[in-house]
Parts: sequence; C-alpha cells; structure tokens
Amino acid sequence: MKRKLFWMAAGIAVLVVFPFVSNTVHTNLAVRLAIDALFAVSLNLLLSFTGLLSFGHALYFGVGAYSAALLLTHLEGIPVLAAALLSGVAAALVGLVLSPLLVRVRATAFAMLTLAFGQLMYVLCSKFRDVTGGEDGLMGWATPPMHVLGLFTWDLTTPMGIYFFAVGLSVLGILAMWYFTKTPMGSVMISIRDNQKRVDYLGYRVEMTKAVIFCFSGFFAGLAGAIYAIFNNLVSVGGVLDLIVSFQPLMAILVGGIGSFSGPVLGSGLLLLLEQVTQAYPEMARMISGIIFILVVMYLPGGAVWSWARLRAWWLKRVYLRKAMGGGA
Amino acid sequence: MSPEVQMYLAQGIHGLAYGMLLFLVASGLTLIFGMMGVLNIAHASFFMISAYICVSVMQATHSYWLSLLLAPLGTALLGILVERFMLRRVQKSGLGHVAELLLTLGIAIVAGEAIKLIWGTEGLQVMAPPSLAGLVNIYGLEYPLYRLYIIGLALAVLLLLALVLFKTRLGTIVRAAVSDPGMVSALGVNTERVFMLVFGLGTWMAGVAGVAAAPILTVFPGLADQIGMEAFVVVVVGGFGSLYGALVAALFFGELNSFGIQFLPKLSPILMFAFMALVLAFKPTGLFGDRE
Repeated sequence: MKRKLFWMAAGIAVLVVFPFVSNTVHTNLAVRLAIDALFAVSLNLLLSFTGLLSFGHALYFGVGAYSAALLLTHLEGIPVLAAALLSGVAAALVGLVLSPLLVRVRATAFAMLTLAFGQLMYVLCSKFRDVTGGEDGLMGWATPPMHVLGLFTWDLTTPMGIYFFAVGLSVLGILAMWYFTKTPMGSVMISIRDNQKRVDYLGYRVEMTKAVIFCFSGFFAGLAGAIYAIFNNLVSVGGVLDLIVSFQPLMAILVGGIGSFSGPVLGSGLLLLLEQVTQAYPEMARMISGIIFILVVMYLPGGAVWSWARLRAWWLKRVYLRKAMGGGA
Repeated sequence: MSPEVQMYLAQGIHGLAYGMLLFLVASGLTLIFGMMGVLNIAHASFFMISAYICVSVMQATHSYWLSLLLAPLGTALLGILVERFMLRRVQKSGLGHVAELLLTLGIAIVAGEAIKLIWGTEGLQVMAPPSLAGLVNIYGLEYPLYRLYIIGLALAVLLLLALVLFKTRLGTIVRAAVSDPGMVSALGVNTERVFMLVFGLGTWMAGVAGVAAAPILTVFPGLADQIGMEAFVVVVVGGFGSLYGALVAALFFGELNSFGIQFLPKLSPILMFAFMALVLAFKPTGLFGDRE
C-alpha cells in the first residue's frame, strides 16, 4: 500500500513538473495523450470489465465534442469546466436513450448495433448543417479562461493552461473509473462479464447495471470529446465521429493490454509514438497501424502488458533453472 | 401506362435490383456467421476487392464475362487464405469473438488502404457489356437491361446456393453445422475444412455482387463502407444466421432505399437505421433469427 502511494505521488509530481521542463510540442502531445487515454479507458471499462465490445464509441466522443463546441459558441459566459461536464452529461444521456436497445443484445450483435448507431450519428451530424456545420464542422469560438474558486485564472489557450486542464480532468476521470470497478456495482459488472446468467439468478438486475455502465462510460468518453474540442478549437464529423475514431482507442487497448487500467494508457502512448514515427509518410500511416493491429491480434492478443508479464516469467524461470542446476552465472 | 405508374414501376424494379445485390452480399455474411459465429467485418471489403479486380480484368481483356468469372474466384481465394491463415489462428487466442471482430476490422482497414495504393483514390467507371447496355420496353417503360440482368444473376446465384445447400452432402453438413457445429464435429466431419469452404463460398458470393455492382456504382475506395453498413443492417434485421431473413430484409431495404430517395431524400440515409432500431426494440434477435 505504501509503495503504491509512493508511485502515485511520484507520478503526480512528474505530471506537474512536466510542462515546466518541456517545450510546446511535447506539452501538446501530452494533452493529446491525456485525451486519448481517457477515451480509451472509458471504452475499456466496457470491453475489459463488462465484456462488451463497442465499435461505435466515437458516438459518445463526438456528442461530447459537439456539445462543448455548441455550448461555447452559443452560450456566452458559460464556465469552461461546466461546458466540459455538461458535454459529458449530454453523452451520458445519449447512452441512456440507446441503452434500452443495447442492453438486450450481446457479443457480436452488440458490436454491430453500436457500430450502426455510431454511423447513424455520423450521418445525422453531416446532414444537419445548420447546427453542426456539416462537413466543415464548427470552429473559431472563443475559449473563456477558467476560474478556480475565484482565486486563480487559467488561460486555456496557452499550452500550459490546456495541459493542466486536460491532464487534470483525464487523471480524475481515469481514477473515478478505476474506483468504480472497486465498488459493489463494479463487482456486479465484472460478474456480468464472467457469467451473466448466474448474476441474473443471484437477483441482480443485469440490464439496469449495464445501462448504468453505458452512461458512465459514455460520460467519460464525452468528457474526452469535450477536452478534444476545447484543445483543438475545431470539431468536424471526420475528426470526432469517423469510424477510425472508434477504432483508435480499441487499438490502444489491444496494443497496451486488455483487462487492465494501465494497458489503454500505455497503448495510447505507444500509438502516439507510432504516429510520430510514421508522420513522414502520412499516406502510409493508416496502413501501417492496420497491419500492426492485425499482427497484435494474431500474435500478442494480450498486448504489451501481457507480453511483458510473459517475458518476465520466462526470464525468472530461466534464472531460477540456472540457479537450481548449480552452474552458469 | 400513366407516367406516375411508370415511375412507381421503375423505382420498384430499381429497389428489387438493389435488394438482390444486398442479398448477395448479406447472404455470404449471414452464412459465415451462422456456421462459424464469425461476423466478418471485412466482408464488404471482399465485395470491393472484386469490383476492383473486375476493373483491372476489363482494362486488360475488355471482356466483362471473363471478369465475372475471374474476379469472384480471385476474391474467394483471398477469402480462403484469410480464413486458413489468420482467422483460424485468432480463434484459438482465448479472446473469443472479440479477437475475430478485431481481426476482420483490421483486415477491412488494410484492404481499404491497399486498394488506395494499388488503384488510387479516383472513382473508376466500368462499362456494362454491349449486350447488356441497352434499354428494354416493359409495357411502355424504357428500363435499363443491366438492372434486370442483376436480378437474374442474383437469382441464379441464389438457385445455385439452394442447390448446394439442399441437394448435396456438403449442404447437409453445412446446414447441420449452422445449427450445431460441435455435434457435427463429433460425428467425424472435418469441420475445419467445411468452414474453409463456406468462407470461400461466402466471399465468392460477395465477389459476384462486386462484379454485378461495378457498372452501376462508381468503383471508389469508400464502396465497402457504403454497402457493408447496409449489409450489416440487413443481417441484423433479418436475424443473424438466417438466410431467409436476409432475403426478406434485403428486398425490403432495397425498396426502402429506392422509394426513400424518391419521397424523403433528406431522411433516406437514416430510414434504415430507424427501422433497425424499431425491429430490435421488439425483437432483439432480428425478424427471423433465434440467436444473438
């Protein structure tokens, strides 16, 4: 426990110091990592802890992003934090509306339904140009500074300001989701993944629990979308609702490691790194990430976390064997 | 015939042709799903690959009929390779259907990108063969022959599928494996080989649809997304694994698409999804399906 607290304190210290010692480019990358990680963890809450594969999580991300953009454009004087949280609530509400349909289906049908709703939202947002700006999207709203308890003022248009805003919200969000899996409801959720029928027989309300998780996961995906909107000052259907937006966090989860909280965060980092490497060949970037995705699914189905554990086990066994044989080093 | 009736007739045949095309794609999808439990997200990519191979064969030989023969065969071969060397491997990974869905999603993305690299991003036009390019007169309505040919071709493939499924030993095994793969395997049938054949058959049908569609749709890299989405909706609404359901749903959505564009142009893209939501609200397994 003490060790865990030490690592957490060290991690927070690094996060706080980081923008002071790095340059703008890296600070902006860290903001993108925070957004990606929050989004990936929110999807992972469904995939790893509920056993539901969502192909349309961009729906919530997009609703959050569009809500933030619309709120900041049309409601003058709205506190930026309120706008972000309201956007999360908007995404959660969409989850609430869809949940009666989604909770009744499982596995493949669930994946297909989420995919279909995601595409539906894409079509809707590109058709209703008056509200969403169609293919051009929304941009150029003024981002108000954030006031903290009337004492501090953060200018969110500076790299430093947006860094603390994005990283702070992401860390809090990820911690909230982590805490949720430890609550009694979180235990029920994990049991649903392992044996839905048994949970049903035990008297828990499976469908209700699932609906709550959708809304919960949707809230944080929406929050990630809102941070994205505030950071980029631009929201478009291609940027926040495209199929690739649903696919990106899935890939982060897979590459990092399914079934853990550190996996999606690590995976988001690895993907961002990959993006930096392939930046020189933009037309090949999608191809390369697709190939890596296939290879990971085929050969490293547990991702980086799992591979590391296997490597470690293999190494420990080797050392142990060598010692037991009394020879070698 | 009054112009109004002519319009209805023309839209009706349009819808029928499009519905049959949808059925060709969706039936392969639902067949593979019913047998192997794999929802192949890359299915529409095979449709698109076939359309592109058709373009290349046409450019090289100027023969539509040769491409109708070659493109689906090439596509089926690709499908068999994917099943044999990729899908079969991830099925053992312990991630269950998640791994299959993710793998086929990855294949769909790579296939889309590979097509852009090989054939470019420009839309390509395929000409219908001269023998099918004309118009026919249906009670005073001048209707393009090619669309009637699509209906005929789809019917022929459907008939072939029915013959294979209901008149051959392979068909008996396939039908049995759709309802209980474990039992069929226990009876001593090499289900792995049957799966491979069915996967090949499914992708072959997608390939035929690709060649049939090439002259009426523009062949462009977004083709798979467009038709794939609709094929998925057809399979979901018809019920997973149900061929009959796929036929009914495909014909219905074909007409819905045709008349939707006519009467509700702004809403037509979402009509399909709205209908799907409606069906699933009352019957989560789809119209004719009994499993998820």
